[in-house]
Amino acid sequence: MAPFELVAPATPDEAIAELGALGASDAVPLAGGTDLLFDLDDGRLAPRRVVSLRRLPWQTLDWNGPILTVGSTLPLRRLETDPEVRTRLPGLYTAVRAVGSVALRHQATLGGNLGRSAPASDLVPMLLALDAEIDLVGPQGARTVPVDQFVIGSRRTALRPAELIRSVRFPEPRPSAYLWQRVRPFRDISQMAVAVAYSPARARWRVAVAGFPPRPLLVPEVEDALGPVLPPARSDLDRGAHVLSTRAPIVGDKRASEAYRRQIVRPLLERAVRRASGEKAGS
Amino acid sequence: MSATARPDGAVKLAGAAVYGEDLDVPGMLWGALVLAPVAHGRRLSVDLSPARALPGVVAIGAADVAGLVDGGTGDPERPPFPSERVSYLQQPVAAVAAPTRSLAREAARAVRISVEPLPVATDLDDLFPEWPREKIEDPARVAAHVHARRGDVDGAFRDSATVVAETYRTASVHQVALEPHACVAEVTDGGWRVRTSTQSPFGAREDTASILGIPEAALVVEGTWVGGGFGGKGAAFLEPYALLLARAAGRPVRLALSYAEEFRLGRTTLPAVVRMETAVNAGEITARRVRLLLDVGTSLPGRDFATGYAIGFLLGPYRAPAFEVEGYAVRTNKPPFGPHRAPFAPQAAFVVESHLAAVARAAGIDPATFKARHLWREGDRTPFGQRVLPFGLASAFESARALAARWRSEAPPGQGVGIGLGFWSTSTGAGGEARVVLSPTELVILQGEREIGSGSVVVGLAQVAARRSGLPVEQVRVEYRDSAGAPFDAGVFGSRTVGALGRAVDAALVSLLARLGERLGSPGPVTLAVLDGEIVAVHGSGRRRVAELLTPAETAAGGLAADGKHYGRSGEIDESVVLDGAFYAFTDFTGAAHVAQVEVDPQTGSVRVLRYAAFHDAGVVVDLPSARAQVEGGVAMGLGAALTEEAIWSDDGRLENAGLVDYRIPTLREVPPIEVHFLEGFPGAGPFGAKGLGEPPIIPVPATIAAAVRDAAGAHVRELPLAPERVARELKFR
Repeated sequence: MAPFELVAPATPDEAIAELGALGASDAVPLAGGTDLLFDLDDGRLAPRRVVSLRRLPWQTLDWNGPILTVGSTLPLRRLETDPEVRTRLPGLYTAVRAVGSVALRHQATLGGNLGRSAPASDLVPMLLALDAEIDLVGPQGARTVPVDQFVIGSRRTALRPAELIRSVRFPEPRPSAYLWQRVRPFRDISQMAVAVAYSPARARWRVAVAGFPPRPLLVPEVEDALGPVLPPARSDLDRGAHVLSTRAPIVGDKRASEAYRRQIVRPLLERAVRRASGEKAGS
Repeated sequence: MSATARPDGAVKLAGAAVYGEDLDVPGMLWGALVLAPVAHGRRLSVDLSPARALPGVVAIGAADVAGLVDGGTGDPERPPFPSERVSYLQQPVAAVAAPTRSLAREAARAVRISVEPLPVATDLDDLFPEWPREKIEDPARVAAHVHARRGDVDGAFRDSATVVAETYRTASVHQVALEPHACVAEVTDGGWRVRTSTQSPFGAREDTASILGIPEAALVVEGTWVGGGFGGKGAAFLEPYALLLARAAGRPVRLALSYAEEFRLGRTTLPAVVRMETAVNAGEITARRVRLLLDVGTSLPGRDFATGYAIGFLLGPYRAPAFEVEGYAVRTNKPPFGPHRAPFAPQAAFVVESHLAAVARAAGIDPATFKARHLWREGDRTPFGQRVLPFGLASAFESARALAARWRSEAPPGQGVGIGLGFWSTSTGAGGEARVVLSPTELVILQGEREIGSGSVVVGLAQVAARRSGLPVEQVRVEYRDSAGAPFDAGVFGSRTVGALGRAVDAALVSLLARLGERLGSPGPVTLAVLDGEIVAVHGSGRRRVAELLTPAETAAGGLAADGKHYGRSGEIDESVVLDGAFYAFTDFTGAAHVAQVEVDPQTGSVRVLRYAAFHDAGVVVDLPSARAQVEGGVAMGLGAALTEEAIWSDDGRLENAGLVDYRIPTLREVPPIEVHFLEGFPGAGPFGAKGLGEPPIIPVPATIAAAVRDAAGAHVRELPLAPERVARELKFR
């Protein structure tokens, strides 16, 4: 690890200024650090300044009617222990619990997971299926970006220089589920993951897949196939699973072959939709 | 024999135990290795001047150790550094030391290396796609060749009703000790000294002295507490580099591996391909043919004995009237092969058990009945002609079958129950010696091994002394001495600590008690006991305080001392069957039968282990809690090899998963409840009939899981580990 200056500003404006004073590779923001520290330790990143966000007033969780707003530096463990999250956004609850261990989730944050945008993120696919919106603040002020436009590639986001993730907004409670396939069921990186949610407001299923490069993605053809109702008709679910398995741009990499991913994505979708529809998961 | 609290528990819980990784001495420099950038290359040139230009940095390369290259072992892969040719990626080519850790890393990065890349060989199937039909004739590729035959094998295959031929593949697995290799070295006018985390202080001394070209007596090795070894810390590794740096610097030097380096440089079990052929007539095996390609990395031609050892486990523990075995140790551009808890035996048991079950099914026989019919029993001859000594495997198998039948009757669809067998032998190593000292208040065992975590030193040796002397184990203390002060011992490996060093402790006790008997004028046996806080010698109905039996000189020296040693020998094999290379005999015969109940996801291939039981013939168990812990730990480790652990090497010789993210060991969530049972009545070569138990518990695990997966889902998987994707390919009920 190369030496760096660690600063912990108390306000968002100061944090933005600390980041803006140096170039993007010379100053990096630090939230929970559970991902960033590996890059610092291995020398893949060698910034001159690390800007800790721990003093910012963003460790928040607010329900405003149907809308949930999660501050970007809230530890994931507090997100999963909120009783409303578990019942109103069950897929988000499951996805959060798929991240690392309890100890890690006491440290890791939603903002950090988004900002680092690993292709195997367990949270991004669920955020896609829930149509989460990302509130950003930066030198040019505040803006809001849908998560689908925020994560643009493997470890690439729409963040502008010195811009920070302030919070993540979920527009409505949704029946939802998240399922994954891993070599080791827990504390591992997903070979394949499926996030599904049903939007009552739009009368539409949302389906995202993840675990392969370059980034988690929504699959609208599958959503079309599933139809407008909860639970979907058996034949629609079959067709959706077939479309997902055959047409989604799934690729192979060192963690799993393309053929295996296409094979398992089918039962994963079927089980996830059944679970979101209130049936017990299982084969 | 009563159970005992771990005497090393308090110091470890308090964080006061100093491991190699904790070493930090005043004035020391931080060392770092400079690692080769290619897996195979020639015309190596290493320019140390940019590193030496940094403040306070010492750097050494091949030129600084001219004459020491080969280290007297004839092995260019051994330290210090290669001078011309690079044989594996990140092979150490130089070393640096600096006043801070970060400066040491900077200095290592500053070294300029040029090397002309050569083609890289990593994959056995790529190297020999037509094996075993094609012969392997490139002598540079072959580190060892072993070949043996008994009887008319070709005739038996020709004349038998059922012949089954299968190919199996096994993966490279790492030890994953919690503590990486670490040491601190110092060279003064008084000599060479290294404090190191090692399973074998004397082995490290012998290797290091040989590499450095110095007399063993000039080097003192002091073992630290060891944060797990599992075979990975049995030989010298960092010690020669650290000593050379310390000599160049004139100051102590600390050298430790990062965890990624631990994966990339560590000597461990490498991949293998096994061809198994078995012929059966009228329910009886008539002949077996076993062929092995064992990847041994950069092990030297002619210097690798792993193959002959590994192949012995591919034949047993089953009788066969005729057999042929042939194995090649294949050189590739990976680090040298090294021992990993029961080297290659879990992989071999997986192959043998899976294959013979398939053979039985092909012959229309229940696999368990077929195996029980052919299992070695006491008095049988092994394929290599050695007589089988007391061996509880058949009894363990019977117990396992009864339990498996019950579990299977309780298992719902989608679940399955499997049994796996494994066998092993207690190693004697090069032998061992110990000294015991009896004072009026305690019995002390002086010896040269550090506890590596299993309890075999601090509990096992104490229990041997307690059992021989009659003292409560709390009255026995095991004291470590460095290589200058301790009697010789081969090391804490090969399941030998209680079995071999324990025999030396026992011999010392026998000698001590005999001398007390002389002083008491008692021809009968003498034992020790505690009376009012003092140790007394008991003979018949009389007793005398030990304080009264010591001479003034002995009292002044701390007590009455006695020495013991044990240089055991294994049995002998029938050399007439050996056509080439070396095969090995066993000291005793240790067996285990395991049972697992698993659930297999019929669509994804995921395997969940629901419950597990282990039946072990460990001879006479000297400490039950330690023995149970060994079995539980071995099973957990074996579950990794069975299901998730696999070092993946890229075509350019890079270890792709050099860390705990993608090299997946089991967590507690993956380890089910484990029942542990010991079978008595089959004494081994250790004290009181004890058998080694360090390695046996890992051996049957992959075989057991594979059998259970087949039972649950019909998937006959011929490759380790049984990761979901591999299981899914073989699923019958997709």
